[in-house]
Amino acid sequence: MSTENIAVSEDALDDLSGRYLTFYIGDTFYGIELLHILEIISIQSITSVPGLPHYYKGLINLRGKVVPVIDVRLKFNQEEHAYDEKSCIIVVTIQDMQVGLIVDSVDEVVTIEEDQKNVPPELGGSGARYLSSIARIGDKVILNIDCDKFFQNDLRLY
Amino acid sequence: MPIDPSMEPMLETFIYESNTLLEQLDEILLESEKSKDLSEDNINEIFRIMHTIKGSSAMMEFNGISTLAHAVEDVFFILRDDPSRLTSVNEALFDVVFKSSDFLKAEIESVQNSGEATQDPSEMIAELERLAAIMRGEAQSAPAAAVPSTAPAVSPASVVSAEESTDDHYRVKVHFEEGCQMENIRAFMLMTQLHDLCDELESIPSHPENDASLCSEIIKNGFLIIFKPASSADDVFRAIENSVNIKTYEVVKEAQQKQGALSSEGETSASSKSDGAIFPVQKKDSPATSSSNASTSGTKAKQSLVSVNQSKVDQLMDLVGELVTTESMVVSSPDLKGLHLDNFYKSARELRKLTDELQDVVMSIRMVPLSGLFQRMNRIVRDMCKKLDKEVELVTEGGETEVDKTINDAIGDPFMHMIRNSLDHGIEFPEERKAMGKPEKGKVTISAQNIGGEIVIKISDDGRGLDTEALLSKARNNGILTKPESEYTDKEIFSLIMLPGFSTNQEVTEYSGRGVGMDVVRKNVEKVGGTLSIDSKQGQGTTFTIKIPLTLAIVDGMEIAVGGSIYTLPITSIKQSFKIREDRQIIYDTDGTEMIMLRGECFPLIRLHQLFNAETEITDLHDGIVIQIESGDKVACIFADELLGEQQVVVKPFPSFLGKYELKKLGLSGCTILGDGSISLILDANNLLNAY
Repeated sequence: MSTENIAVSEDALDDLSGRYLTFYIGDTFYGIELLHILEIISIQSITSVPGLPHYYKGLINLRGKVVPVIDVRLKFNQEEHAYDEKSCIIVVTIQDMQVGLIVDSVDEVVTIEEDQKNVPPELGGSGARYLSSIARIGDKVILNIDCDKFFQNDLRLY
Repeated sequence: MPIDPSMEPMLETFIYESNTLLEQLDEILLESEKSKDLSEDNINEIFRIMHTIKGSSAMMEFNGISTLAHAVEDVFFILRDDPSRLTSVNEALFDVVFKSSDFLKAEIESVQNSGEATQDPSEMIAELERLAAIMRGEAQSAPAAAVPSTAPAVSPASVVSAEESTDDHYRVKVHFEEGCQMENIRAFMLMTQLHDLCDELESIPSHPENDASLCSEIIKNGFLIIFKPASSADDVFRAIENSVNIKTYEVVKEAQQKQGALSSEGETSASSKSDGAIFPVQKKDSPATSSSNASTSGTKAKQSLVSVNQSKVDQLMDLVGELVTTESMVVSSPDLKGLHLDNFYKSARELRKLTDELQDVVMSIRMVPLSGLFQRMNRIVRDMCKKLDKEVELVTEGGETEVDKTINDAIGDPFMHMIRNSLDHGIEFPEERKAMGKPEKGKVTISAQNIGGEIVIKISDDGRGLDTEALLSKARNNGILTKPESEYTDKEIFSLIMLPGFSTNQEVTEYSGRGVGMDVVRKNVEKVGGTLSIDSKQGQGTTFTIKIPLTLAIVDGMEIAVGGSIYTLPITSIKQSFKIREDRQIIYDTDGTEMIMLRGECFPLIRLHQLFNAETEITDLHDGIVIQIESGDKVACIFADELLGEQQVVVKPFPSFLGKYELKKLGLSGCTILGDGSISLILDANNLLNAY
């Protein structure tokens, strides 16, 4: 591997860190680190699978690969909403596995500096325990999701 | 010393080939050691293996490996000449060659892991040279002339001085291109190329491959080749000309100075060989094409093999899978509904036959016979016998049974653990066995069979067997008993040894006793979907049984609809399907479970829409379809909305993300993508019937 290649990919990684994709669940604004995200797709046909927790909507066919999808609203114990043309599936990767997150709508990619981040509140409403930090950009408050915490209960221990 | 970057692409080939050769070496050694004799074929084979490894490792600049291979090669060179000399060193020879083989294997592994081979083989080389000296010492006459040698890099003392200065000896000085690097290796490669074309071949410096510092000498003074051509000198010159990286070559005419001018390099042990003879080049032997990397294909030539990158095989399998799905899509296209297309369907059947065959062949590509694994166990048994001072014979059956490569790789370690356990704990010492009336030589048997879609592998020994008392008391002491001791069946007691940390061994030996073995073994077996069970008779022996299902990636299924979902039911599980006409057929048992009467027999009725919580309008038994399924000797009926049609599907396992939820236990064995892109869940009759 030539040194040029290494330089480019390192640059690419630098580009990703500190950058977050923001999305809406209801009126709340959330962020996920770009590092974890593979792609964003619009809502598509989901095959339900019995025997899974209620927030798993089922499986989707992602270009020949079978990927499970989770409804973030349901995971946050909020009321389920019907999907519309703005609903999206954010496909994230965790521990070399892929999973899709169904969200109300996706906003944009923002850069959040370390000093803009604050510690999330101890208690709080839905999803508080899944947060890594809270940031303020302009007049918006972004709740940053910690992927490891988010999926902690879903993954096997070994 | 890290690898020269220009060599990196060859590294993988080097590792693969060297490993293959070393495995073959072990096989030959074991066989020969048993028969206490080295056949001419085997000697040649070993010589060739060492020669190849020497050459290719020299090119990769792994000098430790190369010099050790060289030393072994020397020994076998002597044996090739006179196999009777084996008797003077017999057992010691096998020991040191085995040790060398291990060293080489370890070094190759080190190369694989870190790219470097840094161990020092001098101890083994010294031993090999000692044995070589003993073997040579036996020969009364130290033949001066006509001691055959192959390529120039064979004998350590390559003292050559001409007894005859004839004009058919040529001296050619070769200069390599500036900056081409590794001049010493290139010089060696050149010698190898010329080897076949010459009756006699020598060079200054005489062992360029052994010493990288010679590069500067070669650059400065050129590389001098002295040869007597086999047929025409022109052939040799042409070969030199065609050689890469050679800038110039010149024929040097110094007939007088032949004697004494060609003296050996520093490599010691100048024994009887160095009696001033020209060493004629023996052309008959297999030339060292070790310099050409990839051409050292399967040496034994029992089958002609091609080594293929595994990812290519995986790709091929994926494509075949998609081909099957797409074929189904074409043949059952909704566009064709209701049309009478006899010729079309005839061709479609032909197509189906071909894809079936293609599928079978591709699946078989990934299959490897278990014999490879069994061979490795031979080595382990031999080594442990020596170390533990026990006598054990290993018997293998069914080595030709084939399993998927992933399974073969996964059960290697479990095998080793179990064999080690058998030898360490199971088989008694010879005296003990004699006292018990058993043959002094213990027996360990490995057998493999293909039974009904499963591979059944048994490892059994005729040793002590498991002591249920000792096991129970150990479990008791560790506080891991979950019920009163009396309630434990023998089988359950035996299974105790698979719990982590369980070992009744008092001391930890090199091989076992840390209590880490059996639970890791079971985990590895379960990882490939297998099961491990243990049976034993005290005083008589223990048997481990591994059962691994053969995963068939493509299944003939019947698509059935339940609510908005589609499920695939393997055709092999279906006995029959029918609609319910009369109410009489349905009865209820004492629990209120629905049962259905069929020809005087009662079967439970499983409503899939209830089992899978699917929303459907078809809840009345008269509206849907009932399918009678079976697995083993269990039979039941399932109720679904409708049958959608037969389809060949490619089984995809559920995403590992969902591993926690054990969908298998619910009766779902996997999923598949249908021709229209939708996902269908595959039912497994066995688990379905168990779950209900």
